[in-house]
Amino acid sequence: MKKRSLVLVTVDCLRADHVGFLGYSRPVTPNLDKLAENSTVFSNAIVAGAPTYFSFPAILASRYPLALGRDVLGIAPHEPTMATALHDAGYATAAFLACNPYLSRRYGYDQGFDVFQDFLNSAGSGPLPLGTTPGRLSNLNRMIQAGAGKSGLLAGAYEELYFWFCQWRTAQQDLPMETLRRYPAANVIVDQAQSWLSSLVEQPFFLWLHLMDPHHPYYPPEESLAALGVPNMTARRARFLNSFWNRGDIGPRRLKRHQAEILSLYDAGVYWVDQQLSRLVQALQNSQRWDETVFVVTADHGEAFLEHGDRYHSPTSLPEHLIHVPLLLRVPGLSGRRFSQRPFSLIHLAPTLLDAMGVSSPDRFQGRSAWEQISAGELQGEPAIIECIDGCNNPAQAEDRVRPRLMAVRDQELKLVVNFRENQDYLYDLKSDPGERMPLSSGQRTRDRVNLLQIARRHLLRTDDSQRTDLRLRARLRELQQSERMAGSSANLA
Amino acid sequence: MSQYRTVNLPEDLCVAAEKFMKGRFESLEALISFLLQEVVKDDVSKFDQAEEQMIEQRLKDLGYI
Repeated sequence: MKKRSLVLVTVDCLRADHVGFLGYSRPVTPNLDKLAENSTVFSNAIVAGAPTYFSFPAILASRYPLALGRDVLGIAPHEPTMATALHDAGYATAAFLACNPYLSRRYGYDQGFDVFQDFLNSAGSGPLPLGTTPGRLSNLNRMIQAGAGKSGLLAGAYEELYFWFCQWRTAQQDLPMETLRRYPAANVIVDQAQSWLSSLVEQPFFLWLHLMDPHHPYYPPEESLAALGVPNMTARRARFLNSFWNRGDIGPRRLKRHQAEILSLYDAGVYWVDQQLSRLVQALQNSQRWDETVFVVTADHGEAFLEHGDRYHSPTSLPEHLIHVPLLLRVPGLSGRRFSQRPFSLIHLAPTLLDAMGVSSPDRFQGRSAWEQISAGELQGEPAIIECIDGCNNPAQAEDRVRPRLMAVRDQELKLVVNFRENQDYLYDLKSDPGERMPLSSGQRTRDRVNLLQIARRHLLRTDDSQRTDLRLRARLRELQQSERMAGSSANLA
Repeated sequence: MSQYRTVNLPEDLCVAAEKFMKGRFESLEALISFLLQEVVKDDVSKFDQAEEQMIEQRLKDLGYI
């Protein structure tokens, strides 16, 4: 029997409730919706960490993000992953990643790939915000800003005036979406993937694509906007919206004025992903590879649009719109089915996919294969654990990672969020309170709360696993090698 | 003042480690000290322990430990 190949597509920031096959009413994913009819759809797929840097160790290496110690970032040198397992099994492997610095060689994501292209050297960085470029105007601005900052009222007025001054300045530059975009769009990534696929002969392959189109700043192709019925959105307008949405000096009430337009930009990014994935599927069909290819689409985390006053995907809380992601698994010969009850953690994705490919999972994987259950049509599921470092927005700095953990245990209807910084836990009934507005009081659902706390406790005990010291040391040494402050560190150690 | 201990390591391993250092560490002793400090350092595990204790305390408060 011919070996199966695998295509794994991860879409940055893609929320579960913004794809048609999970119920979104806007037609943003017509091609994936069609594909979903003959695929296994997981309605309750949950990431193991958020954002990207806390999510991907689970997706690729089936390892909880803090399992090697919270000061370790990325995949450790020589850590087994889905890519290394398939490479060792004789697969041709390639990754084309749309310029996410946390998914780079620096953090070990190239391991196991024959071809690894992260586009970090070729991406357009977009124009710098005003006030950050050198020059007399910037210096003058900094002086005014420092003076205004001495009074709350003046600071607010300064921020407002400066924002509108910047808008006036940038309005004079008519830059197209392609120039403003910070990442290669999905068509660029799919083109590269197709080119690599066409270079293969008969070998089975593993192809990983990471697409950034729904990631902020939101600059989708104009044709996506037109297809979604947003024809009047110009690049200039999109630039204004992204600037406004990024303001840190105003509250959610003012931001909400532009929420609908921001959502249109985000959705258009999702639409573009859908269109390009359709092209990839077509290419696989044309090359007679489709019938042996397992095709998976998921995401590393979602995105906030002011649900709780937040934007983007900072790990300051673990709400559903951040941890609940789409998961579509198309396996040749397996008819369409939907698992919509118990959660499915992405910690189990890599062993499940390897099992589906007939390749053994590395012993170090923390997840377990659900392939047998999936093929039998009876997914048991179990509570999913999600963890990150509370408020860690700059993980490149080791000190930003050595802080309290934020953790959630997500079951079918209940979700426990444990905030170790606050020394508090919050239990939500997702059935009666899907927006997680009102945690249950301490006396409610005590037995359920205890069950979830015990799961959290078992997870923490498992994290303290001395068997992983070798991986941890390798990762710490890598960081030391890469640090620009190496000379200073070594002097201190001497 | 620290006491010191002498350990024996294979010569070929020392040569390979010195090659790896490439000026990052002042000496082989500095490299090995760094590695051992990483093994025994407790600033990360302190957080883990505090978090375990918090969960245990919560379970005790609820009367389940």
